[in-house]
Amino acid sequence: MSSLSLQGLRRTYSATVAVDRVDLDMAQGELVALLGPSGCGKTTTLRMVAGFVLPSAGRVLIGGQDVSRAPPYARDTGMVFQGYALFPHMTVADNVGFGLEMRRVGRAERATRIAEALRLVRLDGLAERRPAQLSGGQQQRVALARALVVNPSVFLLDEPLSNLDARLRAEVRVEIRALQQRLGLTTLFVTHDQEEALTMADRLVVMDRGRVRQTGSPEELYERPDNLFVASFLGRCNIFRGTVERPGRLRAGTAALPCDGGAPGERSALVVRPERVAIVPGEAGEGGLPGRVGLVTYLGGLTDWHIDTPAGPVLVTRPTPAEGDALRRLSPGAPVRLDWTEAAGRLLADDEHTADKHRQGDPR
Amino acid sequence: MSGALTRRALLGTAAATALAPRARAAEQVIVGTWGGDYGALLASNIDEPLVAPMGIEVLQSVADAPARKARLIAERGARRGTMDVALLSDVDMFEMQQLGLLDALDMGRMANAKNIIPALAKPYAIPQIYSAQVILYNPDKVNPAPTSYADLWDKKYRGRVGFSDLLYAQITATAALVGGGSMSNYEPAKKALLELKALDAKVYPSNETLAVALKGEEVWITVMWLARGYQWQKAGINLRHAFPKEGATPILYQGAMPKNAQHKDPAYRYLNAMLDPRAQQGFAAKMGYVPTVTNAKLPEDLMAQIGFTPKEQEAFLLPDYAYVAQHSRDIFDFWNRQFKG
Amino acid sequence: MPLLLLPAALLVCVMMMAPMVLLFRYSLNLYSPTQLMVEALSPANYLNAVRDPYYRDVLGTTLWVALLCTLLALAAGFPAGYALARMRGRWKAWLTLLTIFPLMVGNVVRAAGWMTLLGNTGMLNAALRGLGLVGEPVQIMYTTGAVVIGIVTVVLPYMILTLASVIESIPRSVEEAAANMGARPFTVFRRVVFPLSLPGVVAGSALVFILCMNAYATPVLLGGSQFKMMAPAVYDQFVRTTNWPFGAALAFILLFVTLGLTMAGSALLQRRYRG
Repeated sequence: MSSLSLQGLRRTYSATVAVDRVDLDMAQGELVALLGPSGCGKTTTLRMVAGFVLPSAGRVLIGGQDVSRAPPYARDTGMVFQGYALFPHMTVADNVGFGLEMRRVGRAERATRIAEALRLVRLDGLAERRPAQLSGGQQQRVALARALVVNPSVFLLDEPLSNLDARLRAEVRVEIRALQQRLGLTTLFVTHDQEEALTMADRLVVMDRGRVRQTGSPEELYERPDNLFVASFLGRCNIFRGTVERPGRLRAGTAALPCDGGAPGERSALVVRPERVAIVPGEAGEGGLPGRVGLVTYLGGLTDWHIDTPAGPVLVTRPTPAEGDALRRLSPGAPVRLDWTEAAGRLLADDEHTADKHRQGDPR
Repeated sequence: MSGALTRRALLGTAAATALAPRARAAEQVIVGTWGGDYGALLASNIDEPLVAPMGIEVLQSVADAPARKARLIAERGARRGTMDVALLSDVDMFEMQQLGLLDALDMGRMANAKNIIPALAKPYAIPQIYSAQVILYNPDKVNPAPTSYADLWDKKYRGRVGFSDLLYAQITATAALVGGGSMSNYEPAKKALLELKALDAKVYPSNETLAVALKGEEVWITVMWLARGYQWQKAGINLRHAFPKEGATPILYQGAMPKNAQHKDPAYRYLNAMLDPRAQQGFAAKMGYVPTVTNAKLPEDLMAQIGFTPKEQEAFLLPDYAYVAQHSRDIFDFWNRQFKG
Repeated sequence: MPLLLLPAALLVCVMMMAPMVLLFRYSLNLYSPTQLMVEALSPANYLNAVRDPYYRDVLGTTLWVALLCTLLALAAGFPAGYALARMRGRWKAWLTLLTIFPLMVGNVVRAAGWMTLLGNTGMLNAALRGLGLVGEPVQIMYTTGAVVIGIVTVVLPYMILTLASVIESIPRSVEEAAANMGARPFTVFRRVVFPLSLPGVVAGSALVFILCMNAYATPVLLGGSQFKMMAPAVYDQFVRTTNWPFGAALAFILLFVTLGLTMAGSALLQRRYRG
């Protein structure tokens, strides 16, 4: 039995479809991130789980029980809101204890559990403060404690890190993940930040325009995207459009590019991650894609090379080569050849719209 | 008035808020008056046809009588007043005269003054129009027709007698007569009013709300100026009037000149125009008030509805202005606290 | 800059304070029927007003009508203010306009409207009789009920707009958080929305209470002449009996009672619901 199950979930607002045909089954203790650009329907999906939005069609099951029509207060979810939504007129302890009070937990037990939850988020000693007297990070942890303390069947996080500065964000990310694993909470997490999703989630659900585009582990989604949208939304990639010449070769203009299989004659898009592309300096050599160096961006541990080729601009990312390495001496205009393994070239159905919208690393 | 402080203080507030008279070459006269129908009738019967052709611009300064009284009082220390002609009822005008606010009028400067009905003449004011207090009743409900104020105390009409709050002084006088008092002794009114209260008499906040109650037959009988009764009958309210055998109290609307009026010459000409027969006839036809000059004749059928026979005029009970002014606070307090409370 | 503000501040002070100071000075004078006012420094007017059971009654009526109207306006205004605050888009603009609309018509005009509705021959009675529910017309006009209805409708827009502006500043998510924690709608209201709206409740109630205490046109027109509240009593003293000193004393008694109760009430509410 799944801890949380979404079945054919759909929500429309007059003429617009905000969420459509969303299916998801979550195991106990699993952390799933709903990922996608703004307006993709991820937040609406989360709010349907919490009960703030009623589905137009489909079902929400928590612990096997259909709660699609149940009001929010009857759903046993614990939610951390984007702006934390603490009760400004209550102390930290009262904020955290609110859910326990609603569940008619006795005073003594309540005090114990509040203290425990505050210790868990390292806020012991601040119990009598008001939210306004706390820093952003501390408020965030109060919100976490408030949602955790009731031991909810489902833990919901709506962009919980978006109000924190970058350094704190990385820290809290780890903290949330550790807590979630320690307590074995079934967690649904909404974010638009792919790094957040990749580092925290057991599984990702990538959404676009109300639909789920692909569900899977971070590795699956990054290495084996099902479509151009997922490929270009997660990480950076090079996209070549052309026709499959024979299995393993895609013809894009004058170039024949390595790819993982394909049926001859098929019009396809070829996706190659920049870190999978090898650069060989000079014009000599067989096969691969000839080109000239454009911009070189030094990123510290990594370096980006923007190469102009007959198949279009190509981004290459490599660990920064050592001093004296031939690659290190490449300057703009220098001739190179690019190559990658067939396995690194993933063939996908050509979907121009999303590809162009989310193509990254393009030097244009 | 004992000190200078109060006078100057009064002056300060009043002068700051009041209409500032404009000194101009063309002659002006500022008339303190009621607004509404009355103001419109002044404009159409006096201001435009009679006064404007003399090259005098009339400015109406419109407010309810109590507010205008307050302004006259407030301006009493001011050398330059903001009213040239003050229009008030006879009781109010007497009070203003008592406070020493009015000029004695030089009747020789008003050609029409010689036609004033002698009984209505006063040295400090000219009479504009008049009517008298009568009994108004609903003929379908009140049978036989009343003949005396005492009929309002009839138990048959329990809960069906209604008054306008504005006429409290007049109602008190009426009650005094019924209780055995006189126009100079309101003391017996107290007992009579309490009897009427026990009979569930109603008091309406204004003449208009009383009219609505009469029209809706909430109340059947009241005492009111005949002129009002005439207007209400014209407006379709089922009413007749009866002249009380105790005698009717006349109500007189007067014009006078404050001592500190700034445009005295045009003011005299305005007062004279108010006595013009044409102006008097205009008011009679529209508002039901009777002319105060001997040379303004009314059509006979109109006269029958709004006028008073010589015998009725003989029976007029004139208010004792001095008595009313002296006791105004007691009269008001009794009315407010004992009768209405 | 403070120097530049001085003339304007001074002007406001003079315009607001001068009439009050003058009126207070009058309240210490003595009345004379022939002279209007005799200069004095006497507490007699205040003592007379306080000792007179009639004016104690008038003040009592004023107080309980004002309190009742404030409570009713709060009870009726809260849901409306909440709905307005939580509304979005074009509807909100229209409804805000609709709320303000009555303020564009004078109190007298609105009282007149109520008179035609509530009178014995008014629309309400006509409807009741038409439906055969009553035989004789029900007396609504010139009752305390009519005054209360009238005043509440006059002050309601102030209450609604004050509350709406405060409720608008309460994030929706705070309510959602409470519901998410298991609070039913009424509990969300009691534990979260109401305490957070308290500044609006205090401000709205104070504003409305002051307006109710000083109501003039509505009690006169709908209460009839038997019904007395303080503002009409003050008017009577000034205008009908030209007893300015006593009228001024009554005005100041009304002012102090209103001020005192407003401050005490605000303090009490604030303390009661803090935390």
